[in-house]
Amino acid sequence: MNIALKFWSGYVRATHRWPIIATIVPFIPVVAIWSIVANSGMFPRAFFPAPVDVMRSFISLTYKGILPDYLQDSLIRLLFGATIGVALGIPLGILIGSSRLAHRICWPVLLFFQAIGDIAWLPILLIWFGFGLTTMTFVIVYTVLFPIVLSTVLGVQSVHRDLARAAQSLGASPIRVLWEVTLPGALPNIITGLRNGLGYGWRALIAVEIIVGTSGIGFMMFDARRAGSTVEILLGMIVLGTLWYIVDAWILAPIERATGQRWGLVTS
Amino acid sequence: MKTLSLKNLRKTYFDPYAGSQVTAVHDVSLDVEQGEFVSVVGPSGCGKTTILNMIAGFIPYTGGEILIDGNLVKGPGPDRGVVFQSFALFPWKTVLENVGFGPKMRGVPKDERDRTAREYLALAGLSHAADRYPNELSGGMQQRVGVVRALANNPAVLLMDEPFASVDAQTRMTLQEELTRIWQERKPTVIFITHDVAEAVFLANRVVVLSKGRVLDQIKVDLPRPRVWDHLIEDETFKRLSAQVLQMVRAA
Repeated sequence: MNIALKFWSGYVRATHRWPIIATIVPFIPVVAIWSIVANSGMFPRAFFPAPVDVMRSFISLTYKGILPDYLQDSLIRLLFGATIGVALGIPLGILIGSSRLAHRICWPVLLFFQAIGDIAWLPILLIWFGFGLTTMTFVIVYTVLFPIVLSTVLGVQSVHRDLARAAQSLGASPIRVLWEVTLPGALPNIITGLRNGLGYGWRALIAVEIIVGTSGIGFMMFDARRAGSTVEILLGMIVLGTLWYIVDAWILAPIERATGQRWGLVTS
Repeated sequence: MKTLSLKNLRKTYFDPYAGSQVTAVHDVSLDVEQGEFVSVVGPSGCGKTTILNMIAGFIPYTGGEILIDGNLVKGPGPDRGVVFQSFALFPWKTVLENVGFGPKMRGVPKDERDRTAREYLALAGLSHAADRYPNELSGGMQQRVGVVRALANNPAVLLMDEPFASVDAQTRMTLQEELTRIWQERKPTVIFITHDVAEAVFLANRVVVLSKGRVLDQIKVDLPRPRVWDHLIEDETFKRLSAQVLQMVRAA
């Protein structure tokens, strides 16, 4: 009992000092079970590779420069599409959230197009734009746009009416009310929308790369299937998970801590 | 000099569910002198908050006139500072930034508006909280910020809509005493909406009793200042005035 408590206290202190430990430790049993199953001889290694094989493939593909190149291609596509999506989504969300008329006109249309999933657009996009960046960007923008618009609308509507009134009574013009009250008030929701949007966009990108791509992580995985390389497929999956974790933990979560949680708008 | 003047003020609106016109405020006329503290009391539904929202410019009126220093009210503006029951502090701004918000909207440079804000924070005994965020403060402290934020903008009229209704009873008494002290120091013109009769009498020079969208009666309060609960709670004049107002409100 005493030893367990000591161990626990040591773990808490270590994770406090190096937070990365708290991220890695939960994966130890996952990797261990995977390793045991792969080494047990239940399945042929070429069919069910072990963690070591994936690690070796990671080193070799990184060394050859293929993995960094593909990763870069995927990230640039996501960033490009996401930027356009955010630039369209936030203003649209503010408009729909603050104007009853705009809400009435846009809402049904928005829900209709939201239902047509990103991938459902691919057949017509391939005919219109062919196998290229335009098609990929369209799909990502489309995927990112809806969560951002819907969350921004929700965010704008959640700002207490008295806050806008207080600002007006202190002499704020409509533009200042938007900038000083509506936007910061909607920010926690906008960030949630951004998180969902980027998550969906990332998934859509992989799907599109599998169908359209000539490079990128999705392409790498699909290409590996043709070659029958299970190692590279698994590597691709691990890269996807890791990358998303980094985006979420290192970029989105700190923004949330610095804004909504600090202001007491969301409980941490 | 009349700072605020309501002339035959009326508010009707269409209720789409009932399918008919509803009258919230029938016909209210009221003059408020500069530096006067007027409490408005009445049972719920008497139209007191509607009147305040019309003076503030948050909702349009359908008849009569509202004049501030002779100018017709057409919408919200910095000449009417508002203190809300919900406090309505900006959660993403520090206490100092909240109090400096009005001057900021007028284009006052940062140094100067920070100085003004600190001066007003000192007035409410909040100097130590300048760099905190509203959610880190107690309800009583938040509303102190709400009051000085409105005052720091130097409004012609201070409109207070049941500002102390959501704090605990002890804090409320302290806030009431502080408000009378600040009023004595700065002499702002105040319209104070409340349903608490003792509060209305304690604070005001004049109590206006509303009933069903009309002014039922007005009572002058000549109690000496500074007003402190420890003294007034036993005071015969205070008790008599409170009882008188209470009877009117209950009969209204």
